[in-house]
Amino acid sequence: MTTVIRALDRVDFEIQDGELFGLLGPNGAGKTTTVKILCTLLEPTGGHAFVKGYDVVKQGECVRKIVNMVAGGERMLYYRLTGRENLKYFADLYDVPRREVTARVNGLLGLMGLSDRADDEVEKYSKGMRQRLQVCRGLINDPEVLFLDEPTLGLDINIAKDLRSFIREKVVREQGKTVLLTTHYMYEAEEMCDRVGFISKGKLVAIGRPDELKRNMPSGFSVEILVTQLTDEAISSLRRLEIVKKVITTDYEGEVEGEKVDRLIVNVANEKAVPQVLGHMAAEHCRVVSFNLRGPTLEDLFMFYTGDR
Amino acid sequence: MFARVVLAEAVKSLRVYFFSARTFFWALALPLGNGLYLYFLYLPFAKNSVNLQFNSGTYTLDLVGFTIVGQLLYSFFTMMLLAGASFDSERWQGTLEAVLLSPANRVAILLGGALANAVNYMWMLIALVLSWIAIIHVNIRVTDYFALVLSLVLSYLAMVTLGMCLETADIYSKRGSILTGWLQEPVMFLSGQVFPLQSMPGFLLPFSYLLPLTFGLMAVRLTLLGGASMLNVATALAALASMVIIFFTLSMLLANYAEKRAKQKATLTEF
Repeated sequence: MTTVIRALDRVDFEIQDGELFGLLGPNGAGKTTTVKILCTLLEPTGGHAFVKGYDVVKQGECVRKIVNMVAGGERMLYYRLTGRENLKYFADLYDVPRREVTARVNGLLGLMGLSDRADDEVEKYSKGMRQRLQVCRGLINDPEVLFLDEPTLGLDINIAKDLRSFIREKVVREQGKTVLLTTHYMYEAEEMCDRVGFISKGKLVAIGRPDELKRNMPSGFSVEILVTQLTDEAISSLRRLEIVKKVITTDYEGEVEGEKVDRLIVNVANEKAVPQVLGHMAAEHCRVVSFNLRGPTLEDLFMFYTGDR
Repeated sequence: MFARVVLAEAVKSLRVYFFSARTFFWALALPLGNGLYLYFLYLPFAKNSVNLQFNSGTYTLDLVGFTIVGQLLYSFFTMMLLAGASFDSERWQGTLEAVLLSPANRVAILLGGALANAVNYMWMLIALVLSWIAIIHVNIRVTDYFALVLSLVLSYLAMVTLGMCLETADIYSKRGSILTGWLQEPVMFLSGQVFPLQSMPGFLLPFSYLLPLTFGLMAVRLTLLGGASMLNVATALAALASMVIIFFTLSMLLANYAEKRAKQKATLTEF
């Protein structure tokens, strides 16, 4: 029997020209499906989507002329062609004016630091080089709207940082392109995005500027607690406390005196609730290793909107 | 724009195939080996003949020539089946989405891919020439060179456009290349590749006449080996020309349909 899964459910949002918008959510939330619908690689079963005023279903060809997409994970390139051949091929598919092809290809390769290896086959490239070449491919048609689907997936920290800076400064600020970024790296979204939308189980659950969303978060403070001897009962009873808005458990790799450490993020109404929370943990025979009170981060928002209480 | 995409797609497909000196070597070596194989296979039958009936005329053809033409045109047909399968590898590589993300004309992409495989077939022609030089026993009887050239060109175009239609099956479905396996044996049988068509049970003949390979084999064999003129093979040439138009039109319609369905069923990627 085939199970029908509703990948997206009444997702509704707008992105302004020249904006860098982040679509955030856990794996399987519907981020890639949204991107693929907007760049015409998937056809929705219902509803409407427009890119620069063009209907993605009825005017797909007009949409394809003005968009491009970069996906993480080393796909969308011909490994047996050189970097330069890949770009020239895609320049032909996009009908880039012939007199501009060489300059544009060389310019993009230079911008991404690939000039020295431009005539090597892509199969000889490192993962980071392939991803940079993907960005070149994504910009080959000088798109008005660029879709970035987890573009830094699996990249070294430095390369990912350079890529983020390039997209933010060059592509959006200098060239004024509109960018839709999907990621589940919250620091990436925090660093890059003008606005973000949180998507969970196919539904858009929150949208806005990161600072606005943080301000409007039901609980203004989070206590991050590292704890050993944590039990399910302790978590359940903590959730029942009136001062606690939300409790999230996350993976934490570490041990203290041979005991596994768990990480809890507890959303509380105000800082005065902290002693009560810690007292409760002690009463439940949990050993608190450390705690840290802080204002909400994008990660807290992510957990708040996409995680379970 | 159309011609630019056709050329880009054909060059890319060939580059992806001929990606190293080793692939060049084998591309040349294998047809040469095939030529030698043909030589020794048909040597015992040299000087034998076969009768071929077409349009109420009977032509006596050299048996070795009959068989070699059959084998080479059939090889071309299988090359066109492989043109379809190339989209399957694009899906595996994740490049199918990158190609269809562009606004490039879909028929131009199909044509480019099919032409690349047709160019690959040229290596088979080398085998043909070398085989025939070796097998000097083959009795070639050409009286109308224009009819021969037209037969070759129309056979070539009919199978290229058929290849375009088959490519759409691979855009449509992740399992489109299964068609390759399904079609090979029936086409070999129905087209009269290995025996004269008049030996076929009558009720199967309508199926034979649906295949471009049937008319291609008839036209090329008769003009090359049977001394047939344009008038003698006019029916076969007309059928081939009609098929070129039908397959090309069909590929345009199927390309749009296949892409739309693949986007609805999310089958442009393997995983």
